[in-house]
Amino acid sequence: MEMIERYLEAVKFWLPKRQKDDIIEEISADIDSQIEEREAGLGRELSEAEIESILQHCGDPMKVANRYLPQEQLIGPLLFPIYRFVLKIMFLCCLLPTWLSSIWTIVYDHVYRAQQIHTSWLAAFASAWSVWLTTAFVTAGMVTLGFAVVERIQQKSHFLDEWSPRKLPPVRNPNQIQRSTSIFELAFALLFFVWWAFIASAQTIHLGNSIRVELSSQWVWFFWGYLALAAANVVLSSANLLHPYWNLRRASLRLLSDFAGAAIFCLLLRAHVVTGFFAASLTNDQSLQVIHVLDSWMDKAFPWSIVVSLVIVAVGVYRVVRVKPQGASTA
Amino acid sequence: MNPEPFENLRLELRRGSVVLAVLAALRREQYGYTLRKTLSDLGLEIDEGTLYPLLRRLESQGLLSSQWREEDKRRKRFYLLSADGARVLEQLLAEWRSIDRSLEEVLKEQSHGND
Repeated sequence: MEMIERYLEAVKFWLPKRQKDDIIEEISADIDSQIEEREAGLGRELSEAEIESILQHCGDPMKVANRYLPQEQLIGPLLFPIYRFVLKIMFLCCLLPTWLSSIWTIVYDHVYRAQQIHTSWLAAFASAWSVWLTTAFVTAGMVTLGFAVVERIQQKSHFLDEWSPRKLPPVRNPNQIQRSTSIFELAFALLFFVWWAFIASAQTIHLGNSIRVELSSQWVWFFWGYLALAAANVVLSSANLLHPYWNLRRASLRLLSDFAGAAIFCLLLRAHVVTGFFAASLTNDQSLQVIHVLDSWMDKAFPWSIVVSLVIVAVGVYRVVRVKPQGASTA
Repeated sequence: MNPEPFENLRLELRRGSVVLAVLAALRREQYGYTLRKTLSDLGLEIDEGTLYPLLRRLESQGLLSSQWREEDKRRKRFYLLSADGARVLEQLLAEWRSIDRSLEEVLKEQSHGND
């Protein structure tokens, strides 16, 4: 019967090479037995539709063959949750900022637009999209490959099975502030405060004996802004050192300080505050070129700083939302 | 009630017991089709897609032996429980009875609790 032969051929294709003939002979014998029994019961030969029904009941050829194959998986159930977690992190930390930055560049960077967009916005986005898609596939591919290798090692060495409750990390209070973090923040804020007060207070900054940087009148706002923020951070870090748990008030103050710091930095990048750059070895034209390059780099860094600022603010907002009033001590 | 969870749990529950039934039924030599019929007549339906790969797995584990033989002018593969298979079957049956006793106790306690 041609239909049975076609069915057996389709199953055979997917079977393991060494057992192909043996398995097919057994499946064929089973089908023959089924037909023989049905024919004996009916007292006549089965029709094509009845044979089709028997084969249908046997199952899809690929599924039937699949049951004879060893159970294999690229990434097993033990590693899969970690794999998914890493993919999410890669997406959030690498791909999303790249995509946002590219969109910003296409929309706001005049130089890029002049160089790259000859035809239309649609063409520019299509071109960027192909780059993003490639980046996404390469990233996901690399992560998958890495985990597939770890899975193979795990299958052979079972290194993930060797664990002890003693080695598990301690239970962490999400509102706790590590003392080492507070000490580091306090030291950094103090050093920055002193350095900033000495170096950046004037509109002319001397870097060594030979370099002089002239700044615009707007600089005074940036100077006082960062000085005030550094002073606020000294106070906040000291409070955190004494009371090492976030409460709503201090978490909100940190959010405010982070937001202000990020906003001032973004404004600084767009303000083009450097009006003069003088060095003994540079001609006037070269000095102007240095200023132009500086401005250009600041423009390029602007979209990235927006992305980083958004992340900083998001972390701050999360910290405020997470604060549990009953678990926090008051400052 | 959504039938899907019940169906999945039913299949899960049957999976282990099918191995036990196959080993027990093969204390007498049989080929695949008659084995399936025997189990089906006793109320344990197994489709061919499950039975034949299971027979091969049990054979590769040394619990069954098999040989191709001609019967009624047709070649058939006959399976029989091996000595190792008989030992494992005894152990599995002891385990099965222990589970059955425990489950009965749990169900008894449950029904007392509900009274």
